[in-house]
This record gives sequence, structure tokens and C-alpha cells, in this order.
Amino acid sequence: MKLFRRFSFGRTEKEVIELFREHMNTVKMACEVFLMALETDDKGLFNQVCELERAGDRLRREIALKLYGGAFLPAMRGTLYKLAETVDEILDMLEDTAIDYLRLNLHLDEEVREMCVRVAKINVKMSRDLIEAFNALRSGESLENRTVKIRAREREIDVLRNRIYEKLVKKDVESYWEGKILSDFIDHLVYVSDIIEDAADLIQILNVSLR
Amino acid sequence: MLSEIVASVIAFSIGSNNTSNAFGVSVGCGVLSFRSALILIGLFVTLGSLTQRRVMETVGSIASLNREIVLLVLIVSAVMIVVANIKRLPVSSHQAIIGSIVGAGVATGSARLGVLASIILSWILSPAGALVLAVLIYTLLERLISELPVFSAERLLYVMLILSGILVAYNTGANELAAALAPVVSAGLLPPLEASLIGSASLFAGAALLGGRVVETVGKGITNLDPLSGFSAQLSAGLTVLAFTFLGMPVSTTYCLVGGIVGVGLLKGVRAVRVNLIKRIVSMWVMAPLLAFSASYLLTIALVR
Repeated sequence: MKLFRRFSFGRTEKEVIELFREHMNTVKMACEVFLMALETDDKGLFNQVCELERAGDRLRREIALKLYGGAFLPAMRGTLYKLAETVDEILDMLEDTAIDYLRLNLHLDEEVREMCVRVAKINVKMSRDLIEAFNALRSGESLENRTVKIRAREREIDVLRNRIYEKLVKKDVESYWEGKILSDFIDHLVYVSDIIEDAADLIQILNVSLR
Repeated sequence: MLSEIVASVIAFSIGSNNTSNAFGVSVGCGVLSFRSALILIGLFVTLGSLTQRRVMETVGSIASLNREIVLLVLIVSAVMIVVANIKRLPVSSHQAIIGSIVGAGVATGSARLGVLASIILSWILSPAGALVLAVLIYTLLERLISELPVFSAERLLYVMLILSGILVAYNTGANELAAALAPVVSAGLLPPLEASLIGSASLFAGAALLGGRVVETVGKGITNLDPLSGFSAQLSAGLTVLAFTFLGMPVSTTYCLVGGIVGVGLLKGVRAVRVNLIKRIVSMWVMAPLLAFSASYLLTIALVR
């Protein structure tokens, strides 16, 4: 068994694994920068989230080219590419949320902001859990604990989403557009955790794809 | 000279069709490029053909035939194989060649029925053996893979897919090609070494010129099979043919592959096995040698008279 565990990857497969790690680290970094931006209300940091999204796009393209250039067996290739797309979607969603915030151009109600910061903090934790899950997939450790943790955090965010909306419906807005952008901002912010959960599900599918 | 040309045509035809048995899945999966598959085919078919003579001796001992009748046997076999390829019927080159040799042997009174009986027994036992082996390999591998990290399991399957392809390529030279060359060698038309080299070159030409099309079809058709099932079927077929090659028995890789696929299918439930397709394959398995036997028998009688 030890002999088989030492079975080394091919060069292209190693590169793909590295690109995935870089892609997931970019997600973690984007979540952290977003949290910092929200806490400090720093517009420059929100722009950094958009730059990280562009870096993610490049990584997804590189993964796709290597996968369809022959890395890994076809039975895994489709799910691996779907994972790359889903990880990229997390970055897209963070970018959309950052843009919504910049468009809002107003200060969030302190109570709502505090809850949004809590959501962003959980997103950071989930992005770390996702990296752990991917590392566990690679090393053959149990995935169960990691994915259960991700699902639990996602449910926590769902509860926060309802509480944010309870506050928001009582708040007056000056125009239709202000209300729409505010609502989009909240929806996008909480949707990040849904996509992280989807990515974790794909990691679990990959784990059984050759069984 | 004509006999050598017809034997080369048969070898060419084996090359164009059997490349897919060895590397169809690997090329279809993108594990190997067609060019790399061709290099492996060339190397291992030649190695098989040069290092194994038992099948050639067995097929050559079915009947004692003179040069004219050997030519007739080869023409009947070549026509059957080419027609089967055009009509896309699952006919093994062995069955056409052995059916023809037996037909000519019975017509001339030189057939050794004991040898024939052992060959027929191997035709029945080889797919059954591959079926049992596929079940064992699948069960063992499933257990092994469930304990490995998924990327290591993928790499293991990747490497084993290439190794089993190499095994099938070796068998093609040691068994299928040997059976096609046996009548030429046993009639003294060519020494075994020359026959093996000419046969391997013709087979390689068939693989290089027409193999790509067949590989593409098989590759795309089989990749729907999950890698563990596909690999278990291929390895079981390869090991079964290798065992029968060492026993000197000419058996078909294609039929062993069918046995392996049925074995894996049965493990997953009887519904996973396409019964109609199996019926069609089994009916050709019985019909093809009978057809070759009849044609060869009647033509030999006409020629002798």
C-alpha cells in the first residue's frame, strides 16, 4: 500500500494540482481583502478584490488548457474543470459584491454592517476550509469533517441573511436603485458561501469518481 | 510469393483492427498519443512474434497442407476477414484462419482432430477465463483504490492502462499474428524468423495507415465505461490470452475482452450487460469458423479434383 501511495504524479498533473492550490489561495486572499475592505471601508481594497478576480480567470484558463491537453483520466477531467469553474465563480461573486459596495457610495447602517462583517468573516473561514478539503483530497485523509464544517458555516450564513433582511425591510431608502443595489450587495455577499459549498461538494465527488 | 502477400494482407488487416484492442482506450483517454501507441505496437508486436512460437506450431500442426492449398486457405481467410471488417462484424482472424485450415485439412484427409478439439476448448474456456479474471481483478482493484488518495488511484490506473495495452500488443504478435503466419511457415514457404519480421512490418503498416480510424471509434465508444471497469476487462483479456499463448493455443483477444466486459457488467448487475449484443457476438463466434470451414472445404475439394 505504501508503494502505491508514493505513486508520483506526471508533470502536467502536478502543475494542475499547483494551479488549483494557487486558485484556492487566491479565493482565500480575496475573502480576506474583502473583509478588511468592509471593516475599514477602504475603496482601494475593494478594487484589489477585482484584481484578484482577474488573476483567478487566468488560473482557470491555464487549468482548462492543461486538463484538455491530456492531464488526468477523462473520468476526472470534467469534474476537475467544473471545480475550477466553481472556484472562479466564487471570485466572480466577490467581485460583484465589491462592485455593489462601490456603487452603493454610502455608509451601511452600523448594525447591518456588523452582520455583513460577520458573513465576510465566515466566508474567510470557509475559504480556508476549502483549501483544507482540497489538501485532504490529495493526501487521502478523511474529507467528511471538512465538508460538514463547510455546510455548517453555510447554514450559519443563511441565518445571518434572514436577520440582515429583517433589519433592511425596516430601513428607508432614498431611491429604487439604492434599494436594489443594497439588496444585490447582501444577496451576492451571502451567495459566496453557497458557491464555496458547491466547490466542497465537487471535491467530494472527485474523491469517489474512480471508485 | 502469392501466399506471402496474402499472409501480409491478413497481418495488415490485424494491424488495422487490433491496434484498438491494445491502445484504443489509452488513445481515446488522451493517455497516449496515436504516434506513441504506434511505437509501442511496433515494438511489442515484433517482440511477441519473435519470442513466442508455440501458437504458430499448434496452428501449423492442425493439418499437413501443400503450397497451393495453403494459398487457398489464406485467400479464404483474407476474404472473410476483409468482408467482416467492411460489414463491421465481430469476426476474429483466428476463427477465419483455423476454420479454413480445418476445412482444407478435412478435404485432404490430413486434419488432426485432437488438435482441433483442444483449440475449440480454448475458444470456449478463454472468454470464460477472462470473465472470472475480470471479476477478481475488479474486486481486488476496487478494494485497493478505495484505500488510496484519489490522485494516486488515478495515476495507478493511468500506468496500468498503458501496461495492459503493452500486454495486449505483445499478445497480438505472439498469438494473433502467429496464427496468421502459421500456414505459410508450416508449408515451408518462409522460415519463422522472416515470417515474423514480414508479418510484424505488415501489421505495423496496417496499424499506421488504418488503425487511427478504428482507435478513434473504439476510444470514444469505450471511454463511457468507467476506468476501473475498462481497465479490469482489458487486463483480464490480456492475461488470459497470455496464459493461452504459453499453452500454444490460438485465442482471440476480442472475445476475451468481451468476456472481461461481461464479467464486470455482471458484478454491476445483469441489467448492465447488453444481452442482444452478446447474442450477436456469440452467433458470429459459432458462424465464422463454420463459414470458413465450408468455403475452404468446398474449394479444396474442387481444387484437388
